Amino acid sequence: MSNKTLLTIIGIALLVALPFFVKSPYYMHLIVTIAIFSIVTLGLDVVFGYTGEVSIGHSALFGIGAYTAGILAMKLGIGFWPSLVFAPVIAALFGLLLALPALRVTGPYLAMVTLAFGTIVQILINEMTDLGPWLDHFNLTEGPLGIKLVKPLFIDLRGTVPLFDMPILRLKEVEFYFVATGILLLAILVINRLVASHIGRAFEALRDSPIASDCMGVSVYKYKVVAFVTSAAFAGLAGALFAYSEQYIAPNTFGFDLSILFLLAVTMGGRKSRLGPVLGAAIVVYLPNLLADINLFRIIAGLIAVIALVSGAASLLRDRSAVRGVAIPVVLCLALFALSISLTTITDYKLAIYGVMILFVVYYLPDGIVGALKKAISTVKPEWVRTNVRIEATGGAGDAFVAPTSSAVSGSTLLDVKQALMQFGGLRALDKVDLDVKAGTIHGLIGPNGSGKSTMMNVLTGIYVPTGGEVLLQGENLAGKKSPEIAARGVARTFQNVQLFGELTLIENVLVGLHHTYKAGFFQVALKTPLANANEQGARQRAASILSFVGLAELANEEARNLPYGKQRLLEIGRALALDPKLLLLDEPAAGLTAPDIKELVQIVRKIRDHGITVILIEHHMDVVMSICDTVTVLDFGQKIAEGKPASVQANPRVIEAYLGGAAAAAV
Amino acid sequence: MQYLPQLIASGISIGMIYAVVAFGYQLTFATSKTLNFGQGEALALGGLTGWSVTTWLIAHGIGVGVAYLLMIPIVLIFGMLQGAVVERLGVRQAIKTKSEAGWIMATIALGIIFKNLAENIWGRDALKFPSPLPEAALTFGSVRIQPMEIAIVIGALAMMLAVELFNRRSIFGKAVVATANDRDAAGLMGINTGLVIAFSYALSSMAAAFAGVLVAPITTAGVSSAAVLGLKAFAVAIIGGLSSGLGVIVGGLILGITETMTGYFISTGYKDVPGLVLLLLVLSFKPSGLFGKATIKKV
Repeated sequence: MSNKTLLTIIGIALLVALPFFVKSPYYMHLIVTIAIFSIVTLGLDVVFGYTGEVSIGHSALFGIGAYTAGILAMKLGIGFWPSLVFAPVIAALFGLLLALPALRVTGPYLAMVTLAFGTIVQILINEMTDLGPWLDHFNLTEGPLGIKLVKPLFIDLRGTVPLFDMPILRLKEVEFYFVATGILLLAILVINRLVASHIGRAFEALRDSPIASDCMGVSVYKYKVVAFVTSAAFAGLAGALFAYSEQYIAPNTFGFDLSILFLLAVTMGGRKSRLGPVLGAAIVVYLPNLLADINLFRIIAGLIAVIALVSGAASLLRDRSAVRGVAIPVVLCLALFALSISLTTITDYKLAIYGVMILFVVYYLPDGIVGALKKAISTVKPEWVRTNVRIEATGGAGDAFVAPTSSAVSGSTLLDVKQALMQFGGLRALDKVDLDVKAGTIHGLIGPNGSGKSTMMNVLTGIYVPTGGEVLLQGENLAGKKSPEIAARGVARTFQNVQLFGELTLIENVLVGLHHTYKAGFFQVALKTPLANANEQGARQRAASILSFVGLAELANEEARNLPYGKQRLLEIGRALALDPKLLLLDEPAAGLTAPDIKELVQIVRKIRDHGITVILIEHHMDVVMSICDTVTVLDFGQKIAEGKPASVQANPRVIEAYLGGAAAAAV
Repeated sequence: MQYLPQLIASGISIGMIYAVVAFGYQLTFATSKTLNFGQGEALALGGLTGWSVTTWLIAHGIGVGVAYLLMIPIVLIFGMLQGAVVERLGVRQAIKTKSEAGWIMATIALGIIFKNLAENIWGRDALKFPSPLPEAALTFGSVRIQPMEIAIVIGALAMMLAVELFNRRSIFGKAVVATANDRDAAGLMGINTGLVIAFSYALSSMAAAFAGVLVAPITTAGVSSAAVLGLKAFAVAIIGGLSSGLGVIVGGLILGITETMTGYFISTGYKDVPGLVLLLLVLSFKPSGLFGKATIKKV
């Protein structure tokens, strides 16, 4: 038995025993609330931690779940268990609605969208007391009056086991505790499986580089929707539990402040972990108690001040120049202590204290408590801490390629660009360019800076929609198709300024490229079906093979952002190969590489071609272009000025003029 | 339908308030690509500070009109200081570390702190603001307009015009425009872009605080509706385009008029909804705004 399973069993045993030690109904209720909030924060972490989007609308989704349960119970007489199905489904539908703007916007815009969504929901709950004459003036939400519910008694266990001989109110609370923690454990299990799967990797990929995700066939929009819907479903589920736990819900509960509290919990606890959001939820639920008791608050503030002084002094001893950086937090902590002594009542300043906590976390605990602990432990015992899943898979370089399924006969036309026109305002970045790329060749695309080479790449991969012309891949027009659709048709690329998924490991980067090999969906991942396992095993093997092909096998579990530049370029090629492309576009792969690295690169590109993959190569290193390309096309100011065998292009006077200017050409 | 001109007239003045606050969003977004999520609170704080100064002056025997005029420069300075605090504590560090979630959360947190402090200083209830102009409405045909509503339109336009002129004519304004166009290049040309960003925050909060004292005489001063107001002004900034100068005036008018219409034809309880729905719709279908230009992504 591994340490991990042992810890899990001990943890579950503690959770089972807990209600028999906590006799106070007040604390029992508090613990249940922590479990419920944990479900929300774990769900929020999927959006906030993994896809990196700030949602200030989760209290509304939580409220929708609660009101679904409340309305079902009050208006339709439908009880607890069905509401556990309805609440997440309804909340997920709203999550879908909320994700709609995510198609076009991210960051602050999306944060504002979620805030607006939350405000609208709260207004609707307040106002939908009269659905108008068409619906018989139906009072859906009871408005500000709120809805009352009754906590269910699941099984009457009194008189069966002596342990359960307790008053009926306490029995209800204990049973509800078991249901809520059971659901929490289930939520942890599902989210654990989700984030470790190809779906979780897709979330992180779209956070680190949306453009590269799309070009790897991982649709940014689709996975943002999946993240929002999943997150909303968990919030809704927790909402239903909350409604029955509180036995009363009113619109004011589900406002802006609660959304902020959820965000605070996730950031303070630590993003991208299971422990973090649960810890954060426990803190924010317990916080009001702390703030209700001024003496307790003074003690805690005093402790924080002492810790700040000691750690401040310690870091000063290590680094004398850190005075400015250390002074501010220490002074803030001392000020907090002074404030706690001077205040007579504190409840009025609750929100300001939440605000200060958010500021503190943003500045000094950006990775949360769990992140800070991990960091502290890793300075002592680095092997105890890992941020990424360690993937042990081996594969030989020879297995990097699958047998080509492409029907393209070597020498026939694979890509036929006809009269491609790309206009930005008055500028023609591509001016009616024709390109005929034969299958199984390496086709060079050269030209001075600003001649339209990268624009051509972007047109070919759907990042730009051409203003005119056709892009035919084996006869099918790609113009107007979105990047993920083009990727699915077998066009892969690398980027001029490297676009790796920085926080993912090397092997995970390649696994994102292998996304198309996964057939298992969300529920199969959650249930860990044999298909899901087989997909994952197969993909890992393949990813390991690809890494050995590009010579990065021993670095498989390093984070991509820690790689040196040259290796990052190789990793990008590996990731692109994972797409099993018919056509591979390499955008300046040798830029910034050292001479030995370039030699290695040339070998790799040749091998790729030998496996039947057609390559388009943009490159400024002429020796590379001239030695490996079968055909070369030269662009200048968006127009094709020459095409042919490398040697003939090199001798073409127009090409020389484009590179060296008119006078130089005349001198030759 | 005979109420239509009246609804439009009432919508214009509130629309101009949104326009001024939205203009404030544009200022900081232009220089730093960041926004103050506590912009609504900046407006409320301006209104409350203005209330304290005005009532203090009146208590010392100064007439309402003069007190109001004397109060305005004080509130403008207060607004600038408040904006500078937001920039220092909420934004500067996050810009350095390029943490988007960082400044979003920090400006939200500062908004909460300001709101909570204001509640403790001025109380939770909205305060009646002494009106510097007669409250009796002027009648134009069937339309009744309060003198203060006209003052709002004039004041709002004057504020935006003054800032625009400053940006276009003065050398410091040119630094602001340069930073807005390309922060790195401006920095290399010797412009202290950090200072420019701090200044844009000061101007942004100043605009909001000014809007606060403009609107307070016809509504009230208080923090309770600050967050929703900030959000609706953001809707206006989006409709007008975050980077399209005076598109916010059109956006403000659209929202102001829609709101009075909703209040009249449906229910005042729903009057915040159209602005928020408009925000969602514009961001879903035309995120660059009705008047903004779409940007070309560079790879």
